[in-house]
Amino acid sequence: MSSGLDSAAGPGAPAAGSGPALAVEELVAGYGGVTALDGVSISAGTAAITAVLGANGAGKTTLLRAVSGMIRPRRGRVLLGGTDLAGRNPEQMVRAGVAHVPEGQGVIAELTVEENLRIGMMSWRGGLRRTAGGTAVPGHSRADRAAALDEAYERFRPLADRRRKLASTLSGGERQMLVIARALLARPRVLLLDEPSLGLAPRIMTQVMDLVVQLSRENGLTIVLVEQNARGALAIADHGVVLNLGRVVASADARTLAADVALRHHYLGF
Amino acid sequence: MVEFLQFTLSGIVFGMIYAAVALSLVLIWRGTRLLNYAQGGMAMFTTYVAIEVIHHTGSYWAGFAVALVAGVVLGAAFQLTVIRPTMNKPPLNAVIVTIGLLTLLEGVAGILYGGQYRSFPAAFSITGLKIGTTPLGVSRFDVFVAAAVLVTTLVLAAAFKYTTAGLRMRAAAFNTTIARLSGIRVARVLTVGWALAGLIGALAGVLVSPSTFLYPNSMDTIFVFGFTAAVIGGLDSPAGAVAGGLLLGVVLSYVAGYLGSKGSDLTSLVALGILVVVLMIRPGGLFSAARVRQV
Repeated sequence: MSSGLDSAAGPGAPAAGSGPALAVEELVAGYGGVTALDGVSISAGTAAITAVLGANGAGKTTLLRAVSGMIRPRRGRVLLGGTDLAGRNPEQMVRAGVAHVPEGQGVIAELTVEENLRIGMMSWRGGLRRTAGGTAVPGHSRADRAAALDEAYERFRPLADRRRKLASTLSGGERQMLVIARALLARPRVLLLDEPSLGLAPRIMTQVMDLVVQLSRENGLTIVLVEQNARGALAIADHGVVLNLGRVVASADARTLAADVALRHHYLGF
Repeated sequence: MVEFLQFTLSGIVFGMIYAAVALSLVLIWRGTRLLNYAQGGMAMFTTYVAIEVIHHTGSYWAGFAVALVAGVVLGAAFQLTVIRPTMNKPPLNAVIVTIGLLTLLEGVAGILYGGQYRSFPAAFSITGLKIGTTPLGVSRFDVFVAAAVLVTTLVLAAAFKYTTAGLRMRAAAFNTTIARLSGIRVARVLTVGWALAGLIGALAGVLVSPSTFLYPNSMDTIFVFGFTAAVIGGLDSPAGAVAGGLLLGVVLSYVAGYLGSKGSDLTSLVALGILVVVLMIRPGGLFSAARVRQV
């Protein structure tokens, strides 16, 4: 598995080694008459963290929404492992291996912790499934699901103690943990994280950032991280992309971006 | 005392019917924030289907079963053909479509079956039950009505709580975005919601028609009371729908019972009164999940 540390490729150019897990090419998307993304290209290296930065209204969230199918891009390509999936709906994208954690600690407050986690496995196939050769093999069984749940509880201990509690009773940090655990249960290759540190206490924020690093380094997940907190995001990212008014204004190695004082002042506010 | 018992029991029976209508409205409201004005019309139509089947086969239960199936088919078909295209459009579009469906159903029923009142058979005896010599004010059929709605509600509640399909429906109702991003095919879930609503509405139609007669507008009043019950319960909550139905049924039964013929004229007004009082005390309804935000 590539460490992804050197996958700092420019837009469109394949990353060194295994190539980008996710590439977005000339994406145009918006809402009604408003164009929020105006020809954006980014490439997220396999098992690397790509930070997407920029001011409010730069198009960061729209980029994630267009990739996961929440909105249909007007033009452009969304390449997952080389296949163009632009225009697919979210139900199809999650099955293709893209998990999107939207902004705002998106737990379903009215459901229990365990029910929230089970929702993460809704994209799994039950019953019989067809292989490429056309033979029918059993899909995921009840035991597979139970094992996956156990694994999630093993990794996120605090959730195990609260599995029967409503998600509304969790703290901000626990909610973020639950949301990420649920996304992981979908067994994605690409994880889109929208402002995971928003509204968290600094100590919890650090834990979440550490977890993001772990997911990329140890689990080999390709991560696209949208952050308002540019300093924190660049500290853990391999590659950074800066958006402004729906266009890419900079795309470089995270350390290069963090060292660019003019860019930081102008677009990132630190 | 005997009167009180009689009024209470018959109130519970009618309350269960309001509860069934309320439940069918809640099932659709939860998923889409849409009030299905055609719910009563659908129930009326499936009850006509039941009458036809009963006449042809001579079997009440065949008619009963076919009505429920017709409810499922009608609910799913309406959702797929005319409701789905209104999604992602202004909410008023869907409301207008359901009102159009109501007009269509009542019109078609009028053309096919005429406007005259038709009696609908009851599954069991409608003579009043007695304990010793004390009349209870309810019949064997009334007991069946209450039991049928209760069992349906409990089965539904258990399915929502304990099955994966139920979890899928709850997730889609509470948070469409997260549901879709998790791979739940929300559009399909909504079709299932309409089918279930059609089923429960059809049940209400078959159960209430022996006491009201059947005609193209026969479900209009029941729909209004069912809607009132749903709002009292909070529109979001199946348990609230049942509680709202029972509350409404019992209070209206006291009003109609104790005030005699004057009381029956007052029922609509009293229903409105209950609604106003409940909404003043708990603006979201009795069982509302909406949290009051403190700033």
